[in-house]
Amino acid sequence: MSSRDPSEEKLERLVSQVLRDQPLRRAPASLEMRVLGELAARARLPWWRRGIAAWPAAVRIPVIVGCAVCVPLVWILSLWLAGHLVSLATHPGIAGPIATLWDTGHAVASLGSLTAHILQSIPREWLVGGIIATTALYAALFALVAAGFWLLCSRPEHSKAHLT
Amino acid sequence: MRAYQDMVFSTAVRLTANPAQAEDISQDVFLRAYQHFEQLRSSPKVGGWLKTVATNLTLNHLTRHRKRWRLFSEVFSDDSREEELESAAAVFDNVLAELETEERRARVEQALERLPDHQRVPLVLYHYEEMPYQDIADRLGISLAKVKTDILRGRVAMASLLAPSGVGAPSERRRSPSALRGTQS
Repeated sequence: MSSRDPSEEKLERLVSQVLRDQPLRRAPASLEMRVLGELAARARLPWWRRGIAAWPAAVRIPVIVGCAVCVPLVWILSLWLAGHLVSLATHPGIAGPIATLWDTGHAVASLGSLTAHILQSIPREWLVGGIIATTALYAALFALVAAGFWLLCSRPEHSKAHLT
Repeated sequence: MRAYQDMVFSTAVRLTANPAQAEDISQDVFLRAYQHFEQLRSSPKVGGWLKTVATNLTLNHLTRHRKRWRLFSEVFSDDSREEELESAAAVFDNVLAELETEERRARVEQALERLPDHQRVPLVLYHYEEMPYQDIADRLGISLAKVKTDILRGRVAMASLLAPSGVGAPSERRRSPSALRGTQS
């Protein structure tokens, strides 16, 4: 049947003619009401229950910027905190607990040195890859949260339909 | 919306053969159109846009059940014989011509709905959406040969369903050519 014979061509032509002569099927009367009802229901939703694309720019932009800034901010904050811990260690009121911590630190140090050794043995490319992967995971997390919010909160009828 | 709802619904129902599912899909199409209302409002291509979205959403819907009809598609071999094709052509050529418009419309719709998915979907895409065989194969994720076979067998099956003496089930479409010829008298 790979080669087209006349009967096959004739059948194709006739079927095409019959099918294309078919008038359109009339849509159910309920379709328009359903669409308008769904639009009205969506319009009644508060902005924070709609997709992020429908959020006001005054909210959407800060959220996006906030998510983008989150990773470096946490990183900088950790470094800042670490620096201050070292200076606080000399304060008399804190020296005692710090000393205890120091002792504990010694115990952990061996583990730390092992970790450092492992880290040093990791190729630089892997570290860069890890940073990229972390960034990508953050982005994916943000996308997942946005998608989840959009699916579960801003489209209640769809969620209901899937459940049923 | 009123100007296009029949077209959108027809596109969906011809592919799904299920009015309830087609209505759900049509609703989704118009909700998407509303999201793009500003671009579509003044566009002369709104009809084409709606048809494309309706087709894509319906195919996405059907793809969820693809494994089922793909399996059935594998079952039937390609052994259409010339007599069978001629008999099928005769049904379309003679039998339908004798029917009143409304009856013809109803019977063609009914026959199309009763085709199995793996025949109806490529048949509709080819004849109504005017998609080339290769595009249908790509879209459905099946081979080009299978698309051609399914469409051809779909046409023959439609003929057997449209034949006056027996609006047979799709499973009966592989009856002998003599039986098919007998239905035309």
